[in-house]
Amino acid sequence: MLAVKSAVAQKDLLSIDEHNKYIYYQVVQQPGLTADTFQNRTAYFLKINYPKNKVNKSEIPESITGTGKLLMLTGISAAKHIDGEVTYTFNIEYKDQKYRYWLTDFVFTPYYVDRYGNSVPQPGIDVTLENGAAKLEKGQLNNYSIQISNYSKQFGDRLKQYMLMVSSAPIKNDKKKVITTKDW
Amino acid sequence: MKKKFLLLLLAASAFSYASKAQDTVKTTADAPLVLYGSVDTYYKDDLSGHANIPTSFASDNNSISIGMIDLGLKKTVGNASFVGELSFGPRNDQSVPTSGYHIQNLYVSYNLTSKLSATAGYMSTFIGYEVISPTGNFNYSTSYLFTNGPFQNAGFKLTYAFSDKVSLMAGIFNDEWNAYTSVHDVSTFGAQLTITPVKNWTAYLNVATGPTSGTEFDLTTAYQITTAFKLGLNAATFSPSHYGGGFSGVALYPQLAVSKVVTLGLREEYFKAKTVDAGSNYVLAGPLPGGSVLGSTLTANIKTGPLTFIPEVRLDKVNKQEYSEFTNSSLAPTTSASQFVLAAVYAF
Repeated sequence: MLAVKSAVAQKDLLSIDEHNKYIYYQVVQQPGLTADTFQNRTAYFLKINYPKNKVNKSEIPESITGTGKLLMLTGISAAKHIDGEVTYTFNIEYKDQKYRYWLTDFVFTPYYVDRYGNSVPQPGIDVTLENGAAKLEKGQLNNYSIQISNYSKQFGDRLKQYMLMVSSAPIKNDKKKVITTKDW
Repeated sequence: MKKKFLLLLLAASAFSYASKAQDTVKTTADAPLVLYGSVDTYYKDDLSGHANIPTSFASDNNSISIGMIDLGLKKTVGNASFVGELSFGPRNDQSVPTSGYHIQNLYVSYNLTSKLSATAGYMSTFIGYEVISPTGNFNYSTSYLFTNGPFQNAGFKLTYAFSDKVSLMAGIFNDEWNAYTSVHDVSTFGAQLTITPVKNWTAYLNVATGPTSGTEFDLTTAYQITTAFKLGLNAATFSPSHYGGGFSGVALYPQLAVSKVVTLGLREEYFKAKTVDAGSNYVLAGPLPGGSVLGSTLTANIKTGPLTFIPEVRLDKVNKQEYSEFTNSSLAPTTSASQFVLAAVYAF
Protein backbone atom coordinates (compact mmCIF):
# COMPACT_ATOMS: atom_id res chain seq x y z
CA MET A 1 0.00 0.00 0.00
CA LEU A 2 2.79 2.36 0.95
CA ALA A 3 4.72 1.42 -2.18
CA VAL A 4 1.70 2.16 -4.36
CA LYS A 5 1.18 5.56 -2.69
CA SER A 6 4.86 6.35 -3.13
CA ALA A 7 4.72 5.43 -6.81
CA VAL A 8 1.67 7.64 -7.38
CA ALA A 9 3.37 10.52 -5.58
CA GLN A 10 6.52 10.17 -7.63
CA LYS A 11 4.53 10.11 -10.88
CA ASP A 12 2.72 13.28 -9.77
CA LEU A 13 6.01 15.18 -9.71
CA LEU A 14 5.45 15.81 -13.40
CA SER A 15 3.08 18.66 -14.27
CA ILE A 16 1.56 19.93 -17.51
CA ASP A 17 2.86 23.26 -18.87
CA GLU A 18 1.14 25.89 -21.02
CA HIS A 19 2.10 23.93 -24.18
CA ASN A 20 0.37 20.80 -22.84
CA LYS A 21 3.71 19.11 -22.30
CA TYR A 22 4.86 17.17 -19.28
CA ILE A 23 7.34 19.19 -17.26
CA TYR A 24 9.34 18.88 -14.03
CA TYR A 25 9.60 22.49 -12.85
CA GLN A 26 11.18 23.99 -9.73
CA VAL A 27 12.06 27.48 -8.51
CA VAL A 28 14.71 27.60 -5.79
CA GLN A 29 15.42 30.61 -3.58
CA GLN A 30 19.08 30.87 -2.60
CA PRO A 31 19.79 34.13 -0.79
CA GLY A 32 23.32 35.47 -0.97
CA LEU A 33 24.27 34.05 -4.35
CA THR A 34 24.52 35.96 -7.62
CA ALA A 35 23.44 34.88 -11.09
CA ASP A 36 27.11 34.54 -12.14
CA THR A 37 27.78 32.14 -9.28
CA PHE A 38 24.76 30.05 -10.22
CA GLN A 39 25.92 29.89 -13.81
CA ASN A 40 29.46 28.75 -12.93
CA ARG A 41 28.18 26.13 -10.53
CA THR A 42 25.64 24.83 -13.05
CA ALA A 43 28.31 24.41 -15.70
CA TYR A 44 30.43 22.45 -13.24
CA PHE A 45 27.42 20.41 -12.09
CA LEU A 46 26.68 19.33 -15.67
CA LYS A 47 30.30 18.54 -16.45
CA ILE A 48 30.68 16.27 -13.44
CA ASN A 49 27.26 14.64 -13.23
CA TYR A 50 25.97 14.57 -16.79
CA PRO A 51 29.06 14.53 -19.04
CA LYS A 52 27.14 12.96 -21.92
CA ASN A 53 24.47 15.66 -21.96
CA LYS A 54 24.67 18.14 -24.83
CA VAL A 55 24.70 21.79 -23.80
CA ASN A 56 23.24 24.18 -26.38
CA LYS A 57 23.92 27.86 -26.83
CA SER A 58 21.10 29.58 -25.02
CA GLU A 59 19.35 32.64 -26.42
CA ILE A 60 18.82 33.97 -22.91
CA PRO A 61 22.16 35.12 -21.41
CA GLU A 62 21.62 33.97 -17.85
CA SER A 63 20.62 30.41 -18.62
CA ILE A 64 21.90 27.03 -19.74
CA THR A 65 19.89 24.66 -21.92
CA GLY A 66 20.63 21.27 -23.40
CA THR A 67 19.52 17.72 -23.98
CA GLY A 68 20.10 14.38 -22.27
CA LYS A 69 18.72 10.89 -22.08
CA LEU A 70 17.98 8.16 -19.57
CA LEU A 71 17.35 4.45 -19.93
CA MET A 72 13.97 2.88 -19.18
CA LEU A 73 14.53 -0.33 -17.25
CA THR A 74 12.19 -3.09 -16.15
CA GLY A 75 12.61 -6.30 -14.22
CA ILE A 76 14.04 -7.52 -10.97
CA SER A 77 16.84 -5.62 -9.28
CA ALA A 78 19.57 -8.21 -9.90
CA ALA A 79 19.11 -8.30 -13.65
CA LYS A 80 17.31 -5.62 -15.60
CA HIS A 81 15.80 -5.46 -19.06
CA ILE A 82 16.29 -2.30 -21.11
CA ASP A 83 12.97 -1.24 -22.67
CA GLY A 84 14.29 1.90 -24.32
CA GLU A 85 15.51 5.42 -23.72
CA VAL A 86 13.86 8.74 -22.98
CA THR A 87 15.41 11.92 -24.32
CA TYR A 88 14.66 15.26 -22.66
CA THR A 89 15.61 18.90 -22.74
CA PHE A 90 16.71 20.80 -19.66
CA ASN A 91 16.66 24.52 -18.98
CA ILE A 92 18.32 26.25 -16.04
CA GLU A 93 17.88 30.03 -15.55
CA TYR A 94 19.32 32.38 -12.92
CA LYS A 95 18.71 35.66 -11.26
CA ASP A 96 20.42 37.05 -8.19
CA GLN A 97 19.19 35.16 -5.10
CA LYS A 98 17.29 32.48 -7.05
CA TYR A 99 17.33 30.06 -9.92
CA ARG A 100 14.79 27.86 -11.68
CA TYR A 101 15.07 24.77 -13.80
CA TRP A 102 12.81 22.46 -15.74
CA LEU A 103 13.02 19.18 -17.66
CA THR A 104 10.58 18.64 -20.53
CA ASP A 105 10.18 17.28 -24.11
CA PHE A 106 10.29 13.68 -22.90
CA VAL A 107 10.41 11.33 -25.90
CA PHE A 108 10.55 7.54 -25.58
CA THR A 109 12.40 5.42 -28.17
CA PRO A 110 12.05 1.66 -27.75
CA TYR A 111 15.14 -0.53 -27.84
CA TYR A 112 15.48 -3.92 -29.48
CA VAL A 113 18.13 -6.56 -28.95
CA ASP A 114 20.29 -6.80 -32.04
CA ARG A 115 22.02 -9.92 -33.35
CA TYR A 116 24.98 -9.39 -31.03
CA GLY A 117 22.84 -9.06 -27.91
CA ASN A 118 23.23 -5.27 -27.75
CA SER A 119 20.23 -3.14 -26.83
CA VAL A 120 19.93 -0.52 -29.54
CA PRO A 121 17.33 2.14 -30.39
CA GLN A 122 14.64 1.23 -32.91
CA PRO A 123 15.09 3.84 -35.64
CA GLY A 124 12.13 5.99 -36.57
CA ILE A 125 9.97 5.08 -33.55
CA ASP A 126 9.63 8.06 -31.20
CA VAL A 127 6.78 8.40 -28.70
CA THR A 128 6.30 11.67 -26.85
CA LEU A 129 5.25 11.22 -23.23
CA GLU A 130 2.08 13.20 -23.97
CA ASN A 131 1.22 10.67 -26.70
CA GLY A 132 2.14 7.72 -24.49
CA ALA A 133 -1.42 6.72 -23.69
CA ALA A 134 -2.09 6.11 -27.39
CA LYS A 135 1.15 4.35 -28.20
CA LEU A 136 2.17 2.52 -25.01
CA GLU A 137 0.48 0.09 -22.69
CA LYS A 138 -0.85 1.52 -19.44
CA GLY A 139 1.63 -0.34 -17.23
CA GLN A 140 4.53 0.71 -19.44
CA LEU A 141 3.48 4.36 -19.35
CA ASN A 142 3.11 4.34 -15.56
CA ASN A 143 6.49 2.72 -15.11
CA TYR A 144 8.24 5.16 -17.44
CA SER A 145 6.51 8.17 -15.84
CA ILE A 146 7.77 7.08 -12.42
CA GLN A 147 11.31 6.58 -13.71
CA ILE A 148 11.26 10.00 -15.42
CA SER A 149 9.96 11.64 -12.24
CA ASN A 150 12.63 10.00 -10.09
CA TYR A 151 15.32 10.98 -12.53
CA SER A 152 14.09 14.59 -12.69
CA LYS A 153 13.96 14.86 -8.91
CA GLN A 154 17.47 13.45 -8.65
CA PHE A 155 18.65 15.96 -11.28
CA GLY A 156 17.22 18.80 -9.17
CA ASP A 157 18.58 17.46 -5.87
CA ARG A 158 22.08 17.12 -7.30
CA LEU A 159 21.87 20.60 -8.83
CA LYS A 160 20.91 22.02 -5.45
CA GLN A 161 23.92 20.34 -3.82
CA TYR A 162 26.25 21.95 -6.34
CA MET A 163 24.59 25.34 -5.99
CA LEU A 164 25.23 25.18 -2.24
CA MET A 165 28.88 24.24 -2.60
CA VAL A 166 31.23 26.90 -1.26
CA SER A 167 33.63 26.28 -4.11
CA SER A 168 32.81 24.77 -7.46
CA ALA A 169 36.29 23.26 -7.63
CA PRO A 170 36.46 19.51 -7.06
CA ILE A 171 37.00 18.46 -3.51
CA LYS A 172 40.46 16.97 -3.22
CA ASN A 173 40.89 13.98 -1.06
CA ASP A 174 43.25 14.67 1.81
CA LYS A 175 46.26 12.45 2.07
CA LYS A 176 45.81 9.63 4.51
CA LYS A 177 47.04 10.50 7.95
CA VAL A 178 50.30 8.74 8.68
CA ILE A 179 50.53 7.09 12.05
CA THR A 180 53.93 6.91 13.66
CA THR A 181 54.43 4.35 16.36
CA LYS A 182 57.70 5.84 17.60
CA ASP A 183 56.14 8.55 19.72
CA TRP A 184 53.22 7.87 21.98
CA MET B 1 51.83 -16.71 -44.35
CA LYS B 2 48.24 -15.85 -45.26
CA LYS B 3 47.38 -15.55 -41.59
CA LYS B 4 50.26 -13.13 -41.05
CA PHE B 5 49.15 -11.14 -44.06
CA LEU B 6 45.58 -10.92 -42.73
CA LEU B 7 46.79 -9.84 -39.30
CA LEU B 8 49.01 -7.21 -40.88
CA LEU B 9 46.16 -5.95 -43.05
CA LEU B 10 43.85 -5.76 -40.07
CA ALA B 11 46.38 -3.92 -37.94
CA ALA B 12 47.09 -1.47 -40.75
CA SER B 13 43.40 -0.75 -41.31
CA ALA B 14 42.85 -0.21 -37.61
CA PHE B 15 45.78 2.06 -36.90
CA SER B 16 45.35 4.16 -40.01
CA TYR B 17 41.94 5.23 -38.69
CA ALA B 18 42.86 5.58 -35.06
CA SER B 19 43.05 9.37 -35.07
CA LYS B 20 39.26 9.86 -35.06
CA ALA B 21 36.90 7.68 -33.21
CA GLN B 22 33.40 7.17 -31.92
CA ASP B 23 31.59 4.45 -30.11
CA THR B 24 29.40 2.40 -32.38
CA VAL B 25 28.60 -0.27 -29.87
CA LYS B 26 25.33 0.96 -28.43
CA THR B 27 25.69 -0.75 -25.14
CA THR B 28 24.65 1.08 -22.05
CA ALA B 29 27.49 2.62 -20.13
CA ASP B 30 25.61 2.82 -16.87
CA ALA B 31 23.45 -0.25 -17.31
CA PRO B 32 23.20 -2.92 -14.64
CA LEU B 33 23.57 -6.61 -15.41
CA VAL B 34 21.02 -7.03 -18.19
CA LEU B 35 19.04 -10.20 -18.81
CA TYR B 36 17.38 -10.76 -22.17
CA GLY B 37 16.02 -13.58 -24.22
CA SER B 38 13.01 -15.27 -25.74
CA VAL B 39 10.89 -18.37 -25.94
CA ASP B 40 9.10 -19.49 -29.11
CA THR B 41 6.67 -22.18 -30.20
CA TYR B 42 4.83 -22.83 -33.48
CA TYR B 43 2.43 -24.88 -35.53
CA LYS B 44 3.08 -25.47 -39.21
CA ASP B 45 0.88 -26.97 -41.90
CA ASP B 46 2.35 -27.58 -45.33
CA LEU B 47 -0.59 -27.86 -47.73
CA SER B 48 0.94 -31.00 -49.29
CA GLY B 49 0.65 -32.78 -45.97
CA HIS B 50 4.39 -33.09 -45.50
CA ALA B 51 7.27 -30.65 -45.00
CA ASN B 52 8.51 -29.21 -48.30
CA ILE B 53 10.14 -25.83 -47.96
CA PRO B 54 13.72 -26.43 -46.82
CA THR B 55 14.56 -23.21 -44.97
CA SER B 56 15.71 -22.99 -41.36
CA PHE B 57 13.63 -23.75 -38.26
CA ALA B 58 9.83 -24.31 -38.22
CA SER B 59 10.66 -27.66 -39.76
CA ASP B 60 7.99 -29.89 -38.17
CA ASN B 61 4.81 -30.36 -40.17
CA ASN B 62 1.34 -30.72 -38.62
CA SER B 63 2.82 -30.52 -35.15
CA ILE B 64 2.77 -28.08 -32.29
CA SER B 65 6.52 -27.75 -31.87
CA ILE B 66 8.98 -25.71 -29.91
CA GLY B 67 11.67 -23.35 -31.12
CA MET B 68 14.11 -22.59 -28.33
CA ILE B 69 14.64 -20.85 -25.07
CA ASP B 70 17.24 -18.15 -25.46
CA LEU B 71 18.93 -16.66 -22.38
CA GLY B 72 21.39 -13.80 -22.59
CA LEU B 73 23.34 -11.85 -20.01
CA LYS B 74 25.35 -8.71 -20.66
CA LYS B 75 27.19 -6.13 -18.65
CA THR B 76 29.25 -3.05 -19.30
CA VAL B 77 31.68 -1.56 -16.82
CA GLY B 78 33.61 1.43 -18.07
CA ASN B 79 34.97 0.53 -21.49
CA ALA B 80 34.70 -3.24 -21.06
CA SER B 81 31.65 -5.34 -21.76
CA PHE B 82 30.63 -8.93 -22.29
CA VAL B 83 27.70 -10.78 -23.81
CA GLY B 84 26.87 -14.42 -23.11
CA GLU B 85 23.81 -15.96 -24.79
CA LEU B 86 22.76 -19.58 -24.38
CA SER B 87 19.96 -21.40 -26.16
CA PHE B 88 18.27 -24.77 -25.89
CA GLY B 89 15.75 -26.47 -28.17
CA PRO B 90 15.34 -27.56 -31.78
CA ARG B 91 15.91 -24.04 -33.08
CA ASN B 92 19.27 -23.99 -31.27
CA ASP B 93 20.19 -27.42 -32.61
CA GLN B 94 19.45 -26.34 -36.18
CA SER B 95 21.29 -23.05 -35.83
CA VAL B 96 24.40 -24.47 -34.17
CA PRO B 97 24.76 -27.81 -35.94
CA THR B 98 27.43 -29.29 -33.71
CA SER B 99 25.92 -31.59 -31.09
CA GLY B 100 26.01 -30.19 -27.58
CA TYR B 101 26.62 -26.59 -28.67
CA HIS B 102 24.32 -24.10 -26.98
CA ILE B 103 26.02 -20.75 -27.35
CA GLN B 104 24.69 -18.10 -29.72
CA ASN B 105 26.93 -15.25 -28.59
CA LEU B 106 29.93 -15.30 -26.28
CA TYR B 107 32.31 -12.40 -26.60
CA VAL B 108 34.11 -9.63 -24.81
CA SER B 109 34.44 -6.12 -26.11
CA TYR B 110 36.59 -3.14 -25.19
CA ASN B 111 36.35 0.47 -26.32
CA LEU B 112 39.96 1.37 -27.11
CA THR B 113 38.93 4.97 -27.75
CA SER B 114 35.57 6.68 -27.91
CA LYS B 115 35.36 5.64 -31.59
CA LEU B 116 37.33 2.42 -31.83
CA SER B 117 36.23 -0.84 -30.23
CA ALA B 118 37.74 -4.33 -30.25
CA THR B 119 35.65 -7.49 -29.92
CA ALA B 120 36.69 -11.13 -29.66
CA GLY B 121 34.74 -14.36 -29.28
CA TYR B 122 31.88 -16.20 -30.94
CA MET B 123 29.31 -13.85 -32.42
CA SER B 124 26.23 -13.81 -34.60
CA THR B 125 27.36 -13.22 -38.14
CA PHE B 126 27.51 -9.73 -39.54
CA ILE B 127 26.20 -11.07 -42.87
CA GLY B 128 22.55 -10.92 -43.88
CA TYR B 129 19.18 -9.45 -42.94
CA GLU B 130 17.69 -12.24 -40.84
CA VAL B 131 18.96 -13.69 -37.58
CA ILE B 132 18.61 -16.85 -35.49
CA SER B 133 16.67 -15.30 -32.62
CA PRO B 134 12.92 -15.27 -33.41
CA THR B 135 12.68 -11.80 -31.84
CA GLY B 136 15.06 -10.40 -34.44
CA ASN B 137 12.99 -11.41 -37.47
CA PHE B 138 9.63 -10.17 -38.66
CA ASN B 139 8.81 -13.39 -40.54
CA TYR B 140 8.89 -16.66 -38.62
CA SER B 141 10.07 -18.84 -41.47
CA THR B 142 13.44 -17.82 -42.84
CA SER B 143 14.74 -16.82 -46.25
CA TYR B 144 16.92 -18.99 -48.47
CA LEU B 145 19.60 -16.29 -48.25
CA PHE B 146 19.66 -16.66 -44.46
CA THR B 147 19.55 -20.45 -44.42
CA ASN B 148 22.45 -20.83 -46.85
CA GLY B 149 24.63 -18.10 -45.39
CA PRO B 150 26.66 -18.06 -42.17
CA PHE B 151 24.92 -17.99 -38.76
CA GLN B 152 27.86 -17.26 -36.50
CA ASN B 153 31.51 -16.35 -36.87
CA ALA B 154 34.20 -16.82 -34.24
CA GLY B 155 36.94 -14.25 -34.48
CA PHE B 156 38.41 -10.89 -33.61
CA LYS B 157 37.16 -7.62 -35.04
CA LEU B 158 37.79 -3.91 -34.77
CA THR B 159 35.02 -1.38 -35.33
CA TYR B 160 35.79 2.23 -36.04
CA ALA B 161 33.26 5.02 -36.48
CA PHE B 162 34.28 7.88 -38.73
CA SER B 163 31.11 9.74 -37.77
CA ASP B 164 27.60 8.89 -36.65
CA LYS B 165 26.87 8.13 -40.34
CA VAL B 166 29.81 5.96 -41.37
CA SER B 167 31.64 3.15 -39.62
CA LEU B 168 33.86 0.27 -40.63
CA MET B 169 34.35 -3.15 -39.10
CA ALA B 170 37.24 -5.37 -40.12
CA GLY B 171 38.17 -8.69 -38.59
CA ILE B 172 39.72 -12.10 -38.88
CA PHE B 173 37.54 -15.12 -38.27
CA ASN B 174 37.86 -18.88 -38.09
CA ASP B 175 38.01 -20.75 -41.38
CA GLU B 176 34.53 -22.29 -41.03
CA TRP B 177 31.19 -20.78 -40.02
CA ASN B 178 29.00 -21.89 -37.12
CA ALA B 179 31.77 -23.57 -35.11
CA TYR B 180 33.49 -22.57 -31.90
CA THR B 181 36.91 -23.63 -33.11
CA SER B 182 38.68 -23.46 -36.45
CA VAL B 183 39.21 -26.59 -38.50
CA HIS B 184 42.66 -25.52 -39.70
CA ASP B 185 43.29 -21.83 -39.11
CA VAL B 186 41.94 -18.32 -38.69
CA SER B 187 41.75 -17.45 -42.37
CA THR B 188 38.43 -15.79 -43.09
CA PHE B 189 38.59 -12.04 -43.55
CA GLY B 190 35.40 -10.13 -42.82
CA ALA B 191 34.47 -6.50 -43.19
CA GLN B 192 31.35 -4.40 -42.84
CA LEU B 193 30.91 -0.83 -44.00
CA THR B 194 27.92 0.79 -42.31
CA ILE B 195 26.39 3.88 -43.87
CA THR B 196 23.45 5.95 -42.64
CA PRO B 197 22.60 8.16 -45.63
CA VAL B 198 19.60 9.78 -43.95
CA LYS B 199 17.99 9.48 -40.55
CA ASN B 200 16.34 6.07 -40.02
CA TRP B 201 18.02 4.51 -43.08
CA THR B 202 21.04 2.27 -42.56
CA ALA B 203 22.90 0.18 -45.12
CA TYR B 204 25.52 -2.50 -44.44
CA LEU B 205 27.97 -3.60 -47.14
CA ASN B 206 29.48 -6.90 -46.03
CA VAL B 207 32.14 -9.27 -47.24
CA ALA B 208 33.45 -12.53 -45.80
CA THR B 209 36.15 -14.35 -47.72
CA GLY B 210 38.60 -17.15 -47.02
CA PRO B 211 40.21 -20.16 -48.69
CA THR B 212 38.02 -22.57 -46.71
CA SER B 213 34.83 -20.60 -46.13
CA GLY B 214 34.47 -19.22 -49.67
CA THR B 215 33.40 -15.68 -50.46
CA GLU B 216 30.12 -13.92 -49.76
CA PHE B 217 29.25 -10.34 -50.67
CA ASP B 218 26.14 -9.02 -48.99
CA LEU B 219 24.07 -5.85 -48.89
CA THR B 220 21.63 -5.46 -46.01
CA THR B 221 19.62 -2.29 -45.62
CA ALA B 222 16.49 -1.07 -43.84
CA TYR B 223 14.70 2.26 -44.02
CA GLN B 224 11.97 3.27 -41.55
CA ILE B 225 10.37 5.66 -44.01
CA THR B 226 7.49 6.68 -41.73
CA THR B 227 6.56 5.57 -38.22
CA ALA B 228 4.23 3.04 -39.89
CA PHE B 229 6.17 1.94 -42.97
CA LYS B 230 9.55 0.20 -43.15
CA LEU B 231 11.34 -1.18 -46.19
CA GLY B 232 14.18 -3.68 -45.96
CA LEU B 233 16.40 -5.24 -48.61
CA ASN B 234 18.92 -8.05 -48.64
CA ALA B 235 21.03 -9.00 -51.66
CA ALA B 236 23.90 -11.48 -51.58
CA THR B 237 26.07 -13.72 -53.68
CA PHE B 238 28.17 -16.61 -52.41
CA SER B 239 30.84 -18.73 -54.11
CA PRO B 240 32.56 -21.65 -52.42
CA SER B 241 36.32 -21.88 -52.83
CA HIS B 242 36.30 -24.89 -55.13
CA TYR B 243 34.16 -26.72 -57.72
CA GLY B 244 31.59 -24.01 -58.34
CA GLY B 245 28.21 -23.91 -56.66
CA GLY B 246 26.97 -21.25 -54.30
CA PHE B 247 24.01 -18.93 -54.66
CA SER B 248 22.84 -15.43 -55.33
CA GLY B 249 19.59 -13.75 -54.47
CA VAL B 250 17.64 -10.74 -53.35
CA ALA B 251 14.83 -10.29 -50.83
CA LEU B 252 12.57 -7.31 -50.25
CA TYR B 253 10.86 -6.71 -46.89
CA PRO B 254 8.06 -4.08 -46.89
CA GLN B 255 6.27 -3.78 -43.52
CA LEU B 256 3.28 -1.66 -42.58
CA ALA B 257 1.94 -1.04 -39.06
CA VAL B 258 -1.84 -0.95 -39.47
CA SER B 259 -2.60 -0.39 -35.79
CA LYS B 260 -0.93 -0.10 -32.39
CA VAL B 261 -0.68 -3.90 -32.16
CA VAL B 262 -0.77 -5.24 -35.72
CA THR B 263 1.93 -4.94 -38.38
CA LEU B 264 1.73 -6.64 -41.76
CA GLY B 265 4.80 -7.58 -43.74
CA LEU B 266 5.75 -9.24 -46.99
CA ARG B 267 8.98 -10.97 -47.87
CA GLU B 268 9.51 -11.39 -51.60
CA GLU B 269 12.64 -13.37 -52.33
CA TYR B 270 14.36 -14.47 -55.52
CA PHE B 271 17.05 -17.09 -54.93
CA LYS B 272 19.24 -18.79 -57.53
CA ALA B 273 21.44 -21.82 -57.02
CA LYS B 274 24.65 -21.58 -59.03
CA THR B 275 25.77 -24.53 -61.14
CA VAL B 276 28.42 -26.87 -59.73
CA ASP B 277 31.47 -28.43 -61.32
CA ALA B 278 32.03 -32.18 -61.50
CA GLY B 279 33.28 -33.53 -58.20
CA SER B 280 31.57 -30.87 -56.12
CA ASN B 281 29.98 -31.94 -52.88
CA TYR B 282 28.39 -28.53 -52.28
CA VAL B 283 24.79 -28.79 -51.08
CA LEU B 284 22.40 -25.96 -50.38
CA ALA B 285 18.86 -25.68 -49.09
CA GLY B 286 16.73 -24.69 -52.05
CA PRO B 287 16.45 -25.51 -55.75
CA LEU B 288 18.89 -27.88 -57.41
CA PRO B 289 22.02 -26.33 -58.99
CA GLY B 290 21.13 -24.08 -61.92
CA GLY B 291 17.55 -23.52 -60.72
CA SER B 292 15.88 -20.64 -58.98
CA VAL B 293 12.98 -20.15 -56.60
CA LEU B 294 10.62 -17.27 -55.90
CA GLY B 295 9.45 -17.22 -52.28
CA SER B 296 6.51 -15.05 -51.22
CA THR B 297 5.75 -14.82 -47.51
CA LEU B 298 2.94 -12.76 -46.00
CA THR B 299 3.26 -12.33 -42.24
CA ALA B 300 1.44 -10.49 -39.47
CA ASN B 301 2.95 -9.54 -36.12
CA ILE B 302 0.27 -9.16 -33.46
CA LYS B 303 1.76 -7.79 -30.24
CA THR B 304 0.33 -8.01 -26.78
CA GLY B 305 2.97 -6.85 -24.33
CA PRO B 306 6.06 -9.00 -24.63
CA LEU B 307 4.18 -11.70 -26.55
CA THR B 308 3.94 -11.64 -30.35
CA PHE B 309 1.65 -13.90 -32.38
CA ILE B 310 2.91 -14.52 -35.90
CA PRO B 311 0.47 -15.96 -38.44
CA GLU B 312 2.14 -16.49 -41.79
CA VAL B 313 1.40 -17.92 -45.23
CA ARG B 314 4.14 -18.76 -47.69
CA LEU B 315 4.23 -19.83 -51.33
CA ASP B 316 7.47 -20.91 -53.00
CA LYS B 317 7.77 -21.66 -56.71
CA VAL B 318 10.79 -23.16 -58.47
CA ASN B 319 11.36 -22.03 -62.08
CA LYS B 320 11.50 -25.51 -63.66
CA GLN B 321 10.51 -28.98 -62.58
CA GLU B 322 14.02 -30.33 -63.17
CA TYR B 323 15.35 -28.07 -60.39
CA SER B 324 12.59 -28.72 -57.89
CA GLU B 325 12.50 -31.16 -55.01
CA PHE B 326 8.97 -30.19 -53.95
CA THR B 327 6.32 -32.90 -53.96
CA ASN B 328 2.55 -32.59 -53.80
CA SER B 329 0.12 -34.44 -51.52
CA SER B 330 0.49 -37.56 -53.71
CA LEU B 331 4.26 -37.28 -53.42
CA ALA B 332 4.45 -36.46 -57.15
CA PRO B 333 7.07 -33.89 -58.19
CA THR B 334 5.82 -30.33 -58.43
CA THR B 335 7.31 -26.88 -58.78
CA SER B 336 5.50 -25.15 -55.92
CA ALA B 337 4.96 -25.55 -52.21
CA SER B 338 2.90 -23.62 -49.71
CA GLN B 339 2.63 -23.58 -45.96
CA PHE B 340 0.85 -21.91 -43.07
CA VAL B 341 2.59 -21.15 -39.77
CA LEU B 342 1.23 -19.79 -36.52
CA ALA B 343 3.97 -18.94 -34.05
CA ALA B 344 4.10 -17.32 -30.63
CA VAL B 345 7.27 -15.56 -29.47
CA TYR B 346 7.75 -14.19 -25.97
CA ALA B 347 10.59 -11.71 -25.55
CA PHE B 348 12.08 -10.52 -22.29
